Amino acid sequence: MKNLSKESILGLFLVGLFVFMSLFAPGFLASSNLKNMMFQLPEFSILALAMMVVILTAGIDLSLTFVASLSGVVIAIALSSGYSIPMALLAGLLVALACGLLNGVFVAKIGVSPILVTLGTMILFEGINLSITKGHSISGFPSAYNLIGNGYFFGLVPVSLVIMIVLIIVTTVLLNKTKWGRSVYMVGSNPIATLFSGINTSRALMWVYLFSSLMAFVASVIMTARYNSAKVDMGSAYLLQCVAAAVLGGTQIQGGYGKVIGTVYAVCIFQILSSGLNLLGVHRSIVDVMIGVILIAVLIINYVSSQLEKRKSIKEQAKSVA
Amino acid sequence: MKAILKSKEMSIAAILILLCIILSYLSPAFFTFSNLTDVLKANAVLGILAIGMTLVIITGGIDVSVAAVTSAVAVITGHLMIYLPDSFLSLLVIFLVAPLCGIVFGLINGYLVAKVEIPAIVVTLGMMSIISGAILYLTNGVYVNSRNFPSIFIDFANAKILGISILVYIFFAVAALTWYVMKNTVIGRSVFAIGGNSKSAIRVGIDFKKVQMFVFAYMGFLAGIAAIVQTAYIKAIDPNGLIGFELIVIAAVVIGGANILGGRGTVFGTILGVILLGVMQNGLILAHIDTYWQKVVVGSIILLAVSYDHIQYKRAQSQLSNIKVEA
Repeated sequence: MKNLSKESILGLFLVGLFVFMSLFAPGFLASSNLKNMMFQLPEFSILALAMMVVILTAGIDLSLTFVASLSGVVIAIALSSGYSIPMALLAGLLVALACGLLNGVFVAKIGVSPILVTLGTMILFEGINLSITKGHSISGFPSAYNLIGNGYFFGLVPVSLVIMIVLIIVTTVLLNKTKWGRSVYMVGSNPIATLFSGINTSRALMWVYLFSSLMAFVASVIMTARYNSAKVDMGSAYLLQCVAAAVLGGTQIQGGYGKVIGTVYAVCIFQILSSGLNLLGVHRSIVDVMIGVILIAVLIINYVSSQLEKRKSIKEQAKSVA
Repeated sequence: MKAILKSKEMSIAAILILLCIILSYLSPAFFTFSNLTDVLKANAVLGILAIGMTLVIITGGIDVSVAAVTSAVAVITGHLMIYLPDSFLSLLVIFLVAPLCGIVFGLINGYLVAKVEIPAIVVTLGMMSIISGAILYLTNGVYVNSRNFPSIFIDFANAKILGISILVYIFFAVAALTWYVMKNTVIGRSVFAIGGNSKSAIRVGIDFKKVQMFVFAYMGFLAGIAAIVQTAYIKAIDPNGLIGFELIVIAAVVIGGANILGGRGTVFGTILGVILLGVMQNGLILAHIDTYWQKVVVGSIILLAVSYDHIQYKRAQSQLSNIKVEA
C-alpha cells in the first residue's frame, strides 16, 4: 500500500467504485447504461485533459468550454448552410485555434495571469457566441457527421471512444517524451528558473493554450455530432468539473505536477458516480454535492497524510539524534 | 497631486466619466436622477460582494463560492421569513441571521484555506459545487414569492431616503465600513501587508492564517448582507438566480484595479469597477444595442483592463530595478 503512487490509489478506488455500483446500482451493468457511459466519457475526458495541461503550467483555462461551444456553433452553421464536412471542420478548427491564440498572446506574451485572461475571454467568447446564435440552437447536420458522435467501429467500439483513447495516448507521449512536454512541467514548477535554463517559456505557454483549444475543438466535434445540434451553453457544465477532475487526479493546482492517467481515472470516477447514483435514484444535484465533497476530502486526506509523515520523520530524527 | 492623478483609480474614473458623457449624449434618459440611482440599486449586490472579494483578492486568494453562498443565505432567510411575524423584530432577526449564516460559510472556506492549506480556488470551487447542489436538492429550484414575506420586509425593500432606495445606502454603508476596517484596524492593515509580501509580513509577526480566516469570514458576512439586499431587490428567492455571478464579481474587482496575484486593490477602485460595469450595461440598453453584445463588450474591457494594468505594473517594476546610485 505504501509504495503505491497517488494515481494507483485512485485507480484502485475507481475499480472499487465500479464493483460497488455493479453490485448495488440496478441496471449498472446493463448494456444500455454501459453504452451511455461510453458515449458520455469522451467529451468530458478530452476537456479535462486540456484543462490538466493548462493547470500543469500553474494556469487555468476558464474559457475552455466556451471555445468548444463557439467552434461547435461555427461547425454547425457551416454544416447547416451546406458546406462539406471537411470544410466545416476546418472552419471550427481555425476558430478554436484563434481563440487559443488570443489566450496565448495575453498569457504568454503580455504575461497577464491566466485566470484573468481566460475569465475575460470566457465572457468574450460567450458574448460572440450569443450574438451569432441569439441563444438558439443550430441543428440539421448530414448523417455522416453524426457518426462521429454516435457511430461504432466494427459495430462495437464507439468512434468517439477511440478518438478519446488516441488523444489520451498522444497527450501522454507529448507530455513525457517531447521537449515541449517537459518544459510544460518545468514552467509550472518554476518559470524563472526555466527561463534561465534556456527554455523559451513564452513559446511553451503559447503552445499550451493552442493545445487546449485544439482539444476543445475535438470535444466540440464529438459533442455537436452526438447532440446533433450546437448551442451556446454546450458543455459549459463541464468547465468546473474539468478543474475538479484534474485536481482529483492528483494534478497540483499550483502547477508542476500531474499525470494524464490520474486525470483519466478521475473522469471515470465522476462518470461512474453520476451514472451509478442516477440509477440508485439519487437526485441529480446530490451528484454535484458529492463531487464537491470528494474534491475537498481528497485534499484533506492529502494534507493529513503529509502532516503524519512530517511528524513521523521528526520523530525518526529525534530517535537518531538520541 | 501627481500621485493622485497617476493612480489607477483615476484612470478608471476617467473612463467612467468619458462613458457617462458619451451616454448622456446618446440618450437623454441616461443622465437623470432616477436612472442613475437605478443603476446603483441594481448593482448593490454586485458592489457588496465585490467589496468583500477585494479583500480576498488582496491577500492573494479567490472565492468562487460567493454566488452560491449568497443564494444559500437568501434561501435560508427566505424560508425563515415565512414563519416570522409582521413586526420590527423580524427585520432585526433577518439582519442577525443572514450575516451569521454567511460568516459560518465563510469560516468553513477560511478554515480549509488557512488551516488545511488547500488552495483557495479549489476549496471555493468544491464549496460552490456542494452548496449549489444542496440548494437545488432542497428547494427543487422553486421560487419563494413575496406574498410569503412579512409585509415589514416589503416596506423595508421599498423604503427610500431622499428619493434613493435604502439598498443603495446599505451598499455605501458596507463600503464605508470596509474602508474603515482596512484603513484603521490592525487586521485591515495586515491584509495589505500579507498581500504585498507574505513572507516579510509573517516575519514581522503577522498571523497569516488569522488574516486568511478573517478575509473569508468577512466575505461570508458581506455575502449574508448581499443575500438580504438581493431578496429585497427582486422581492423573491430565486435559488438559481445567481449562477455564474461569482465571475462578474471577480471581473468587477479586477476592473477596479485589484491585482489577482495579491497586494494591490482598494475599496474605492472596486466601487468604480462596479459602477463602470453597471453604467456600461445600462448604457448598452439605453443605446439600443443588442443585449447579446453586452458580454462581448464586458469581456473585451476585462482583457484591456488587465493587460493595461499588467503592462503598467511591469514598467513600474523595471523602473524600480533601474535605480542608479550616484557615487
